[in-house]
Amino acid sequence: MIWLVGAVLVWLGAWALNVRLAASAFGRTRAGRLAVATLFGITLLVLWEGLVRGLAVSPIILPGPSVIGPKIAASLPTLWADFVQTVVKGALSGFAIGTAAAFVAAIAIDRSPFLQKGLLPIGNFVSALPIVGLAPVLVMWFGFDWHSKAAVVVVMVFFPLLVNMVAGLQATDPLHRDLMATYSASYPQRLMKLRLPAAMPFFFNGLKIAATLALIGAIVAEFFGSPIVGMGFRISTEVGRLGLDMVWATIAVAALSGSALYGLIALIESRVTFWHPSQRK
Amino acid sequence: MKKFLTAAALASLATSAQAEDVTLQLKWVTQAQFAGYYVAKDKGFYEEEGLTVTIKPGGPDIAPEQVIAGGGADIITTWMPAALAARERGLPLVNIAQPFKEGGLKFTCLKDSGVETTADFPGRTLGVWFFGNEYPFYAWMAKLGLNTDGAEGGVTVLKQAFNVDALLQKQADCISVMSYNEYGQVIDAGISEDQLVTFTYKDEGVGVLEDGLYVLEDRLADPAFVETMAKFVRASMKGWKYAEANPDEAAEIIVENDESGAQRLEHQQYMMSEVAKLTAGSDGKLDPADFDQTVATLLAAVSPDNPAITKAPEGMAWTHAVTDIALK
Repeated sequence: MIWLVGAVLVWLGAWALNVRLAASAFGRTRAGRLAVATLFGITLLVLWEGLVRGLAVSPIILPGPSVIGPKIAASLPTLWADFVQTVVKGALSGFAIGTAAAFVAAIAIDRSPFLQKGLLPIGNFVSALPIVGLAPVLVMWFGFDWHSKAAVVVVMVFFPLLVNMVAGLQATDPLHRDLMATYSASYPQRLMKLRLPAAMPFFFNGLKIAATLALIGAIVAEFFGSPIVGMGFRISTEVGRLGLDMVWATIAVAALSGSALYGLIALIESRVTFWHPSQRK
Repeated sequence: MKKFLTAAALASLATSAQAEDVTLQLKWVTQAQFAGYYVAKDKGFYEEEGLTVTIKPGGPDIAPEQVIAGGGADIITTWMPAALAARERGLPLVNIAQPFKEGGLKFTCLKDSGVETTADFPGRTLGVWFFGNEYPFYAWMAKLGLNTDGAEGGVTVLKQAFNVDALLQKQADCISVMSYNEYGQVIDAGISEDQLVTFTYKDEGVGVLEDGLYVLEDRLADPAFVETMAKFVRASMKGWKYAEANPDEAAEIIVENDESGAQRLEHQQYMMSEVAKLTAGSDGKLDPADFDQTVATLLAAVSPDNPAITKAPEGMAWTHAVTDIALK
């Protein structure tokens, strides 16, 4: 009971503090914004711990942060090996291949009405394939190691990127196109100087969607056969062993990697599309 | 009028008897592995005992131990290693009956791959099921003194999907099979028995108890619950014996009750005939010697990577309280 009341009190207190912080002059500085977010995160953890202890939730249903934290610290080598296997080998390589393929395919589709009529529906079709149906087949084709996981990721990220990129390439302003025509610019010139830059905001939108999809795909694909390392393997195995602390430790790593990947893409985006209205400060 | 009253009284008695609801969580999907329960339900054996039984099928993403911990079931079927592991992690499961006397878990290799005996294992790729089914394998490897981390002189372990593709595709030299399910799939795929080398866990000295019935320990303090469980076990064992005697009818009952529509009659008939061999030796009562062997197997392979249990189970990991009433 004391945990329950305590957790709620901490929550209310932190809430009030955060409201004052956010309204104050300090809250408008960079450090202030960081402090507000950090306080919010800590409050969530305290509330979680308090509820788990106060309501005596079995650690098999939901372990508290005080159990998960030490588990993360104690299993760093395992978590690192899983991270390398799933994120670096599976998700990132698949992400890179899928992105490159979609990039090239989008330019080809944009260039040729024939491909536009043929390739786009196929891309649409492939994206509608359920991952639970696809993953076992790809494991059969590409083996148990990370190659089959990368293949799943390629299929998952290809379509969102393709659609965004195709839309981006068609998003040029008629006036700009006229200008290019008066310069009698060649196709490569028009592509490099006008259409690709114009497509970049769309492309990065697609990348952000694909980044999370890549991680989901790489983890879920491991449920259908894998070596004995990897985040998906860890989650499914530890659930079976009722090692929920390890499951949550892996989830934490997955969430961190997903956020980092997203942040990295957003950073590159702000450098590449600095001219776009959405990037104005 | 008097007759009517008697009838009404009887009816009310009948409904009060029916008030005993039992929810059973299976370890896996609806198939002949659980024929006894489906037969008992279909043939009205549970009804005769005054029980209303709900059978929840499991699947690759369902851990029965977690379901019972969350209050989603009164009783579950699971393998003893998983139940003991749950016990050590603070979920006090108790074995109240053991319909499977023998285990169906086997390990099968293609002869082509050159594996003849366990001495040929080093350097091989072996398919293993995880999700709580990996403990006997690790106990076996510990017994053979083979490391499983991929280092020189050991074996490479694959997390096998719940099918036999890894063997058919030659991605693994050996895979895990259940005698009543995947072994039949290998044969169905056109590989004859003499092309296979098959190891039985029990013969290798690392046998564990498979499907047993487990409940939470604190509920056994209630005599009414023990009584209900005794009725459930009695009716279930009646179902099992009926299924053993009438395998084809049991297979039909399974296919009828399979809501997923995925089960084929011939495969269920095969499964039923194989499962019957495993359940035939049991009247429901757990043999403590089998329990001891399971514990000894698990304790042979205690390592930080594969901890089923790290010490002998404490407290009441099994009881005859229920079967003693049920079999009276």
